[in-house]
Amino acid sequence: MKALQVSKVTKSYGEVPVLKGVSFGLAAGERVALMGPSGSGKSTLLNCIGGIDRSDEGTITIEEQSLEGLDENELCRLRRESVSTIFQFFHLLPTLSARENIEFPLQLAGLEGAEREERVAQLIDEVGLSHRADAMPDELSGGEMQRVAIARALSIRPHLILADEPTGNLDTVTGESILDLLAELSDAHGIAMVLVTHSESVTRICQRTLRMQDGVILEEIATAG
Amino acid sequence: MKSSSPSTLPPVAVGRILWSRVIWRHWKREPWLTAVLVGILSLGVAVFLSVRLANKAAVSGFGLFTESIAGESDFILRPGAGRLPVEELWRIREELTRSPAEIFPVLEVSGALADEPNGPLLRFVGADLVALQNTANSIRNDSSGPGPDSESDGQGRFGGEDSLLGRADRVLVGEAFAKRFQVEKGSVLSVLIHDRKAEVEIRGVLPANPNLPEVPDHLLLMDLPGLQALAREPDALSRVEFRIPEGVHFAENRRLVGERMWDFASENGYLLHTPEDRKSSVTQMSAAFRLNLTILSGLALLVGVYLILQAMEAAVIKRRSEIAVLRSLGVTPAQIRAAWMWEGVVFGILGSILGILLGRILAMGMVGAIARTVNTLYYETTTTSISLSGGEVLFCLAFGLGASLFATWLPAREASQTPPAQSLKQGTRGGGIAVLKRWPLGLVLIAAGIGFAFLPPFQSGIENQVPLGGYLAAILAVFGASILIGLLFRPVSRGLRSGRPGPMRQYAASQLQRPGGRHRLTAAGLAVAIGMSAAMAILVASFENTLTGWIGQLLKADAYVAAAGANSVANENTLSPAVWKEIEASEGVAGVDRLRRYSVTVQGREFFLGGADYNNDPERYLQLIWIDPPAKKGPRVLEEKMEQVHPGWISESLARRLSIEKGSPVVLPTPAGPKKIEVTGVFAEYGNETGTMIVSRRFTREWYGDERLTNMAVYFDEGVDAEEKVARLSEQFPAINVRTNARLREESIRIFHQTFAVTYALEAIAVLIAVTGLGLALAGLLLERKNELATLKSIGATRKEVALAAMWESSGIAVIGYLGGILLSFFLGWVLIFVINPQSFGWTLSYRIPWGAFAMLGILTVLTAGLVGYVVGYQKAQLDSDREE
Repeated sequence: MKALQVSKVTKSYGEVPVLKGVSFGLAAGERVALMGPSGSGKSTLLNCIGGIDRSDEGTITIEEQSLEGLDENELCRLRRESVSTIFQFFHLLPTLSARENIEFPLQLAGLEGAEREERVAQLIDEVGLSHRADAMPDELSGGEMQRVAIARALSIRPHLILADEPTGNLDTVTGESILDLLAELSDAHGIAMVLVTHSESVTRICQRTLRMQDGVILEEIATAG
Repeated sequence: MKSSSPSTLPPVAVGRILWSRVIWRHWKREPWLTAVLVGILSLGVAVFLSVRLANKAAVSGFGLFTESIAGESDFILRPGAGRLPVEELWRIREELTRSPAEIFPVLEVSGALADEPNGPLLRFVGADLVALQNTANSIRNDSSGPGPDSESDGQGRFGGEDSLLGRADRVLVGEAFAKRFQVEKGSVLSVLIHDRKAEVEIRGVLPANPNLPEVPDHLLLMDLPGLQALAREPDALSRVEFRIPEGVHFAENRRLVGERMWDFASENGYLLHTPEDRKSSVTQMSAAFRLNLTILSGLALLVGVYLILQAMEAAVIKRRSEIAVLRSLGVTPAQIRAAWMWEGVVFGILGSILGILLGRILAMGMVGAIARTVNTLYYETTTTSISLSGGEVLFCLAFGLGASLFATWLPAREASQTPPAQSLKQGTRGGGIAVLKRWPLGLVLIAAGIGFAFLPPFQSGIENQVPLGGYLAAILAVFGASILIGLLFRPVSRGLRSGRPGPMRQYAASQLQRPGGRHRLTAAGLAVAIGMSAAMAILVASFENTLTGWIGQLLKADAYVAAAGANSVANENTLSPAVWKEIEASEGVAGVDRLRRYSVTVQGREFFLGGADYNNDPERYLQLIWIDPPAKKGPRVLEEKMEQVHPGWISESLARRLSIEKGSPVVLPTPAGPKKIEVTGVFAEYGNETGTMIVSRRFTREWYGDERLTNMAVYFDEGVDAEEKVARLSEQFPAINVRTNARLREESIRIFHQTFAVTYALEAIAVLIAVTGLGLALAGLLLERKNELATLKSIGATRKEVALAAMWESSGIAVIGYLGGILLSFFLGWVLIFVINPQSFGWTLSYRIPWGAFAMLGILTVLTAGLVGYVVGYQKAQLDSDREE
């Protein structure tokens, strides 16, 4: 079963076409890097896959569930159950502690008491932040914030993670460790990942790299990861 | 190559660019938001202006016409008490034998329409029409339009076939009267004067003359002997007016007449003054009432200022990235600040102009209510047309502009300090006023406020005390509470987390656990509006409670009898002995209390003198609410004269006005000469603010030679049906006012609510503006957190869930604002009741908190805030996530 199938997806903003019939697929546990210059349509494609934006034409299928027929609430359910997003600027909720940020999606999903606490504790441990669990976001470093964001993304045990420049706001050493963490967790939990990036270093954890330009995929390269 | 950058351009040029390329375009893109902001400011200005205009119009109705019947009188001679005997005219003429003064004797009598005994008070003015005929500038010498009697018959306008001379059944009215009562020349009016019914024919309608004061809409002009006959006061005058003809010796003649009449007045116990003196001293009486209304109207503007501040702050957040770009392009902080301030200037001007127009319209609706209050509590006035002077327009323009600039200053400063673009990516939570976090300062301000509350009043003019300490205490408390309210965030946050909160309630609670400056500012603004409105509610409830108790204590009789027009403080109608004796002797009447009220002037202050006597039943003597009780009580204590000194009780407002207390001596002017009174008790009275002195009617009968009564309380025999008996008396005496105890209580409460009608309206406006402000503030808060909202959506929160979080947050802020506001109102209410009120009005009130109204206010505020939060949250949750490539 494919984790993701994108078929002939188009999207325009007014008269300006942004995606021009993009197609690609992703197997379960597979990681793909999406690269290209600014304006090539990477983030728009990511938003369409995450159901935050809607495509004009074509189909996007996640775990055999086509997004086209889903209403706003069903898309929300998809995001709280199957698809997680990691952002370049972390986007932690600033008034919640690290632990509460990780716990929040589980609360939304309706997971109760002990099981929720157990899963949060495990995730905190997995991203190596046991000693910083009760810190507020403004007390964390960039790398720590991204670890919290990754743990939050993993908390719902998604089939697919969409990462938008996950290392774009981190120094090289921290960025590398975050990539290692993503690869490790993806392998451990069998989660497929789409990583939008400008950085060649990201490709080392991906099996394939898709190069986009002007709304189309120009080439697909098999990489080491 | 020579290049120019924005920073090297002259500041004006940069300002022009910023204005045309940034601010103006925002206005064009969001015309509704711009319109709402201008609208809110204009509402504040409108309320402020309308109260000012209505205040002015309501009091300017006093005596403009009735006090200067001869046009511009130079002097007016009045008795200190009672009427002026007509024989005094001969003595006055002798005094002024060789002086060129024109003398105009005047009698004034109050009345009412026969079919509306409790309706509007009518004022009959009897003047010597022959003398008026011969003078310039008087009402009759109107050459601008057709007169009441247009044919020239050699006898002038008041003579001829339609002559008013000597007629007790013919009157002239002004255009305003004709319009108000829908009458015209030839109409016959059925009127009540004292306890009699009479019919008068309108023989002409005086046209408006722009050179003369407007003839009031309740005034009927008659020939002096005619009115003396109609009122059955053949030898009585209310006053004599003097007018010095213009000419080269005007100043000398005026001085001479002034000196002679001053001597004459002093020797005979009369009062001499100019129309201006009289108006000034009388209108000062209501100054405190009007000042309070003005302050209350300022509340609407204050809340409006807070709203503009919130909206401008929200605009700063919204345009933060744009501001940062401008900064990165070299626009200096000062230039950005100036651009924002210019936006405030334009808001201020537009809002003020609109507010002035709206205020003019609002004032027309408000003037009636204020004039009714002034009539009930202070003195007779009529509603005059609203006049908007150039000075008033400029004042309001400056006020509106000042308010707008004040509201813009903080956001403008914040905008100028916004760091360049790169640092904005994290969406920092800024805004608000840093001082709101310093809670010890809040304590200091509250403590200082308590200290100021104990300062004595500031004396301003003969009649006016300004409770400056009280106002300062209130202002300091408002600022103090705005700061201390920050302490409520954590407990309310904990409250929100209690039970088994869902994720959205928990998220909202986390926002309140660590409130930003904007949270504090929003809650503070709401608390101020609620605090001030709730304090007014405490004042009104305390007043109502006190008044109800007072009425209950005072109104013990089964029925009350008075001449028509009893609801106005200026009513002078009386009951003749024939009428009241017949009522007293009628079947079923067990006994009566009698009261005759006169207007007297002591130390330049006019007040009421009541001559009271009571039936012989020791259980039924006047039992007042005592502020300082007399040593002896009982039905006869007022009759116990001590040598040449008469005992008298005074109301606390009179004690304040004359600065006297129990034991103080007062010399009363009476027609029988000055009489010494010793104050033996001070009682509470809330029926008027002019003050009352009560002595035994045994003495007033001697002094005034008068058996008439102003009103009387009637006790029925046991088993008599009060309603039925009152109906029978009303039928028997159609020209007088007979009311049952219950009916009089009901009317008193109705008048009370009518008095506070303007207050209720202003309170509602303030709370409405405050809740709108909460909505705008919340929009700003959510806009600031748009990244958070996008994150919430990205992790699966639905729009409804985001809206739910906003609802909880908004409700939490409302709870904080409400709790803070109510706590503030307890102190403000205390200041109003125990400091401002006694110092301004001299009334002691019992403190009462309207818990029911407060609970309702709380529920409505929190529910409205929750609803507003949900709507705003739902709308803001539509934001797309960042589309950064």
